[in-house]
Amino acid sequence: MDMNNGSQLILSEDVYDGISKVLDDLAAHTRAELIVFCESNGYPILHKGSVDNLDLPIISSLAANNFSATAKIAAMLGEKDAFKFLFHEGEHTNMYLSNVGFNFVLLVIFDAEVALGIIRIYTKKAIDELTKLLGAVKEEEKKTKELFDLEFKTLLSEELSRSLKL
Amino acid sequence: MFINKALQEINLKIVYYGPGLSGKTTNLEYIFTRLDPTMRSELVSLKTREERTLYFDFMQLELGRIKGLKPRFNLYTVPGQVYYNFSRKIILRGADGVVFVADSQQNRMGENLDSLLDLEKNLIEMGMSLQNIPWVIQYNKRDLRDIETIETMQAKLNFFGVPHTEAIASRGVEVVSTLKMIISEVVYKIDALVEQ
Repeated sequence: MDMNNGSQLILSEDVYDGISKVLDDLAAHTRAELIVFCESNGYPILHKGSVDNLDLPIISSLAANNFSATAKIAAMLGEKDAFKFLFHEGEHTNMYLSNVGFNFVLLVIFDAEVALGIIRIYTKKAIDELTKLLGAVKEEEKKTKELFDLEFKTLLSEELSRSLKL
Repeated sequence: MFINKALQEINLKIVYYGPGLSGKTTNLEYIFTRLDPTMRSELVSLKTREERTLYFDFMQLELGRIKGLKPRFNLYTVPGQVYYNFSRKIILRGADGVVFVADSQQNRMGENLDSLLDLEKNLIEMGMSLQNIPWVIQYNKRDLRDIETIETMQAKLNFFGVPHTEAIASRGVEVVSTLKMIISEVVYKIDALVEQ
């Protein structure tokens, strides 16, 4: 499914729990320092590992937009789809970014000592499992309407005024 | 919009669009200073060496739970300079609402119009348009000399009659009300879409 046209994407509890298990497996097999599963606009959905000193929304946003930028390069090179993964190598830390279908991105941050092959094998397995799970994600517009009733809108306005110190 | 039901989070994306140097980044910088650090992410800016926006600025504003739901607003700016169109397209993808920040100076009217047409062109490529996406106009820099009247700017830019504000973003004037205005438009539009 494509979020280009302002659609609403809803992730159910069941799918969320399934994603969590897949990421747990991936973390166990790769000893990754941090795994982040985010929506392709950069909304963080789930992470495994410590984010004590990291700003998760920023990391997710930068990773997702990094993917989008290289997708354009892929298109310019005549590739039909976006690059399947991006690999960034640092002195101590490496990062492996993969797209999961059209709407999601998986980010794996790991120690530079860990072999890239291990990351690739288990990430590929995780992506296959995630793709199956996410096949069930669909738009549920009517339910969204119930979330935004008049009371919600009024409270939202009050909360914004309070938060922004008006 | 992305809803994570397991965590009861609603993610919305709002994009600040407009010509170069119209004050898009200044809007975000002001909002950033007004928020309690526990309610926002850092403000990240991907800039050129000349301190101009190269790719985007981003910050996330997270409100407390409302009826059990946690709304998160992901605020982006796009680079205004003409040759960064691809960056603008990437950032515009998945946007739930747009704030068009116009420069009120008389000699910038051409750039305002070009940027608005560029926005419309990019939206159409994504299956949207200025007729159906929630958007508002902020007429910025109202404190400068040689500015256009609001009536003239409305006639030249606001051909769909969307809500507008008169702002001085560098001093925070009408910055927060602009944000509230677009959030209100986005939430209203969700109902309108569903009722069709």
